[in-house]
Amino acid sequence: MAERKVRRSGLTMPVVTPRFVDNAWRRGCDFVVIDLEDSVPQHLKAHARSLVKDAIPNVSKGGAEAFTRINHDHMVEDTEAVVWPGLKRIKYPKTEHASEVRQLDEIITRLEKERGIEPGTIEIDASIETAVGVANVLAIARASPRVREFGATTGGYDLSRDLGVEMFVDFDQFVYPRGEAELAARTLGLGVRTAPFVANTTGSVSDPNRALRQAEAARRCGLRLGGGGLNPAVVDGHNVGLTPTGDDVHDAKSVLEEYAMLEGTSETWIEIEGRVIDRYEAERARELLDWAALCAARNKEKEEAVARVQQGTEKK
Amino acid sequence: MSKPAEIDHAAKAGADVIVLDLVEFVVDKDKPAARERVRNALATVSGAGGEVFAQIDPHAAGADLAACAWPGLSGIVVSRAEKPQQITEISALLGRLEKERGLAKGTVKIVPALETAQGNHEAYEIARASERVWGVTLGRADLVMDLRPEPSDEIHLMPYLMQRLIIVAGAAGVTPIGAWWRAPDRGLLATPENTFEAARRGRAIGFQGTMCVKRSQVEPLNRAYASTARTASHG
Repeated sequence: MAERKVRRSGLTMPVVTPRFVDNAWRRGCDFVVIDLEDSVPQHLKAHARSLVKDAIPNVSKGGAEAFTRINHDHMVEDTEAVVWPGLKRIKYPKTEHASEVRQLDEIITRLEKERGIEPGTIEIDASIETAVGVANVLAIARASPRVREFGATTGGYDLSRDLGVEMFVDFDQFVYPRGEAELAARTLGLGVRTAPFVANTTGSVSDPNRALRQAEAARRCGLRLGGGGLNPAVVDGHNVGLTPTGDDVHDAKSVLEEYAMLEGTSETWIEIEGRVIDRYEAERARELLDWAALCAARNKEKEEAVARVQQGTEKK
Repeated sequence: MSKPAEIDHAAKAGADVIVLDLVEFVVDKDKPAARERVRNALATVSGAGGEVFAQIDPHAAGADLAACAWPGLSGIVVSRAEKPQQITEISALLGRLEKERGLAKGTVKIVPALETAQGNHEAYEIARASERVWGVTLGRADLVMDLRPEPSDEIHLMPYLMQRLIIVAGAAGVTPIGAWWRAPDRGLLATPENTFEAARRGRAIGFQGTMCVKRSQVEPLNRAYASTARTASHG
């Protein structure tokens, strides 16, 4: 991975609902997904397309990256409507074939050129939400260099519908599709976007405690990227849960100190208080410190952006 | 292979296979001396009755194989195998060394350790890359790929990787080697009791034996895999 982006939290919102779009900048998200797909009724699709260009700077003024989700069956007209300066990524739902990703790449490439956007900067998020998609994960993930992060669904709603899998059960029902997608991502060296299994038997999408627990579980697994959510109540939990704690940072520093004691000896590991300290632990500690620094920088960046908006508003 | 005392101990551990390691537990500066010791260690350890394997680094295959391919060697574990071509190259090198050193032709087996995503991605091709491939294992994939425990205590991604490996091994006609570790264990410090449980679960999903590091783990592994009978201890 060339550059690691801090993408812990995000909100997907219908571009046709002004109260969501206008308040997005206040939510503290790392990214906002401007939606043209599921949250927009059929009869408003054309209207929705006309709103994206202005929504991009609007949702990102608080420091969030602006993403958009287009409709699977309207790739050309939707992409024409969303590739504008400031857009960072297009989510393509229900990706099933590499050819779809290549086609999307070609359209974006043309539009970047026509609209003065730096070539190759807009990413593609190829969502895997169907059985056919799962069967083709590797081909899809390597279909374009714009695919930089990959995984099969952190939520699982569409996949559950396609496969007839129940959503709210107390065991991990997606071991195989998530595994396939994660192995593809890791094989290609892409950012891994997945979620460890945490039971959600109630179906709540707005429970802040659950959001925090889920994000903490992901962090403890070594995962760094969040899938975002639908309700503002989950944003803080995702940000906090995926950010290393003070204890994590302290622990990582001690691991590196302990590991340094092996230098020059013939030992490859030592046991300290029932824990193995070896080159793998040391590598993990270095990664954690690196990630903690990136999270701190991202938090500062967002705070400054929000402060600028607030100062601007006061002057008016 | 950098710890002569451990090699003597290993010979007496009761394992079906002893793996002499040149990769994981030997620091770089000790590697040349470790390589020089393998030939004698093979004689010592194989004299005790078990089979002897050596774990080699595919990126130092020439030096490692030259150090290990001596009478008494039953097979090699290829650490972090990633490509079928590595296995065919190692197989060819082994063929040459067998001829030069009076070992029976084609007898040194290969066990690729699929510890990276790339290696697991190409598992089937790797398992079929040479007739010498006798088994496949995930080795230390959890550490190499930094896979940590989920709230369920399963190690992230491992249930998927284990089942995939077992299917690939079955399809390729080779032996799947491993155990189903759960948090807090990842093998190295596991108690005999937890080692037994990991092996019991592993056997239940199709593994036929596993590798371990401590002598105290050999007995529970032998017990858990009793009828399928393969354990290996690192020396």
